[in-house]
Amino acid sequence: MEKISAIVVRTMGEKLIFIAATIRKDFWSWFVISFSFTAIYYMVLMLGLIIRFDSLPNYVNAYGWIDNVRTIIQSTPSITDTLIIINDEWIFEVGFMNYDFGTGISEWSLFLAPTKILGVFLLGLLIATNYLLLRPKNRVCNDVRARTSVTASGFGALCVALASITMSWVVCCSTPTWVVGLAMMGLGVSTSLWLEPMGVWVNLLGFGVLLIAILSAAERNRSSFTD
Amino acid sequence: MLNRKQLVSIVSVMAVCAVNAHAEKIRIAVGHQSMCTDTYTAGIVVKELKLLEKYLPTSGKYETAEYDVSWSDYSSGGPITNQMMANKLNFGVMGDYPLIVNGAKFQATDSLRTKYVAGTGYNLKGSGNAIVVPVDSDIYSIEELRGKSVSVPVGSAAWGMLLKGMRDTGIKTSEYNLKNQSPAVGAANIAANKIDAHGDFCPWSELMEFRGTGRKIYDGSETGVPYLHGVVVREDFADQYPEIVTAFIKAVYEAGEWIREDPVRAVDLMEKWTGVEKEVLYIYFSQGGHLTLDPTIKPQWVDALKFNHGVLVQEKSIPVLDFDEWITEDYLKAAYSDLGKDYQMEKDSVVDPAIENSKLPMEIWHSREGISSYASIDEFLIAIDQFRKTGAKLNATYVYDIETGLKLFGKTAFFVKTDSGFTTFLRKPDADKFALEKSGTVMDIESALATLSS
Repeated sequence: MEKISAIVVRTMGEKLIFIAATIRKDFWSWFVISFSFTAIYYMVLMLGLIIRFDSLPNYVNAYGWIDNVRTIIQSTPSITDTLIIINDEWIFEVGFMNYDFGTGISEWSLFLAPTKILGVFLLGLLIATNYLLLRPKNRVCNDVRARTSVTASGFGALCVALASITMSWVVCCSTPTWVVGLAMMGLGVSTSLWLEPMGVWVNLLGFGVLLIAILSAAERNRSSFTD
Repeated sequence: MLNRKQLVSIVSVMAVCAVNAHAEKIRIAVGHQSMCTDTYTAGIVVKELKLLEKYLPTSGKYETAEYDVSWSDYSSGGPITNQMMANKLNFGVMGDYPLIVNGAKFQATDSLRTKYVAGTGYNLKGSGNAIVVPVDSDIYSIEELRGKSVSVPVGSAAWGMLLKGMRDTGIKTSEYNLKNQSPAVGAANIAANKIDAHGDFCPWSELMEFRGTGRKIYDGSETGVPYLHGVVVREDFADQYPEIVTAFIKAVYEAGEWIREDPVRAVDLMEKWTGVEKEVLYIYFSQGGHLTLDPTIKPQWVDALKFNHGVLVQEKSIPVLDFDEWITEDYLKAAYSDLGKDYQMEKDSVVDPAIENSKLPMEIWHSREGISSYASIDEFLIAIDQFRKTGAKLNATYVYDIETGLKLFGKTAFFVKTDSGFTTFLRKPDADKFALEKSGTVMDIESALATLSS
């Protein structure tokens, strides 16, 4: 048993060393891909809102994130609650205000929440890692494993991307939530709102699958076990 | 050397500085909704008349307190709850469904809670929510919505009303196409005839009727579930500053008194504050209006909230809510006691429009001369006819539905002419039935006016 464990640990260690070496070799590409992914992600969300609602944004709001987080920390006794609330704390909002009735109603908006941005950036890092590992010059796994890794990576990325959406729509109770994305894509609002509490699990599933995809891509092809 | 006078001055200045250094700055942040009429007595009216400031405590531990009162306007209750969670708001004013979500979401946390401390107003049977069709539509009852497209802001009180109304009528969810539309989008689609029907909360239905784009076919009162709004406050804030919560409720009470004292003055100012037309607001806030301003928490309200929670659990999987822990009347009782009012008496009093409004006069809102009242519909029609002959501009006319006692715009009511005169109805099927029984004729206001000259 000890021998088997030692083999597993060594294999995992080897993989991690290989992944780190691959990133180090192409660090700037890795970083630029991740950063670009984050920027593109939010641009796509914005574009999605503009196309879906056929209206350009007409207002922006900036929020004092640091002060707000300080207030949350000071006034929330439970650490778990504090983290959950901070996770939803936004810094910037851009959206469309309908002034046909009363003093105006925010029809839709896109919120930027630092923790969510960080999550999307992390997603970008994982995608970039997988991309670097599967580049022909770095690739060590066989074709089947590479294809599986790409598919799994895509699925994981989709889960995280969906669960990281911070759009709000007045018909979805005007709060920024990931299920607005589902509702906008045509899923019934009731069903979407019913799915809302599952956001954390969708996120975890996505990151889990991505990590497995990366480790799988770092698995050496048996025939290449020469060094 | 300092003389005695100089010494006293220096000590006084130092004392003032010391007091100021210890003055506690109390931040009071309120989230309200200026596009939801039923919240006005705890929102826009209290804000604009500075009623909270009037009642804020200034003695005892508050002697040196400095208050920082701020108001934030939202288009729905959801974001108010989020902001309360982050402690950016202490108080939240919202409708029944969002209130329940607020209480349940807070109770789902480990360490935070809100308290439901007061109501703002109610309609016993559920008026305020309604289903509207385009004004030229040939749909006149909820039964006719089978197979049609109906939109509603999902998650709102109007959505709950729509679900119950359809269920009560025997229409399954598979038998109509439910769409999710915001009030503004729904109203625009009704105006453009792009949707068969739209369900919404106050004051959207009346807004569409007043603008001449929509016609009500179903009123929330037909569900029989009370429609109410209320005030929630973060428990930590209420524990720390109970006197401020009491002060807030006193302000809510005075806001109600101020409206009752002169509804025309009130709606005139409210129009300036909110942008909602005063003629629409009048249908809510005048005598006989949809809304009974009353902050008390009645057992019927708790039952209604429990019913609504059941709907939300089924449709949105929201967390459980311990109503006993959430609802408290302590602050209400303290406020009523301070104001010298009898809480129990007001709590026991329930206004049923079908009874209370049965003897109320019809009204005409003349753009220059204001509002005049008429005991009978015949007199009311004659007056309109005379005003028209003088070329006078009439802002709005109001009658009552004989079935529910609801106040209606004259231009959207169905008039039934019988041997004993005119009777008015909200729904055409009711008017048809009455006409059949009494051998009368159903007509709109223009036809009713035409009968005067024939």
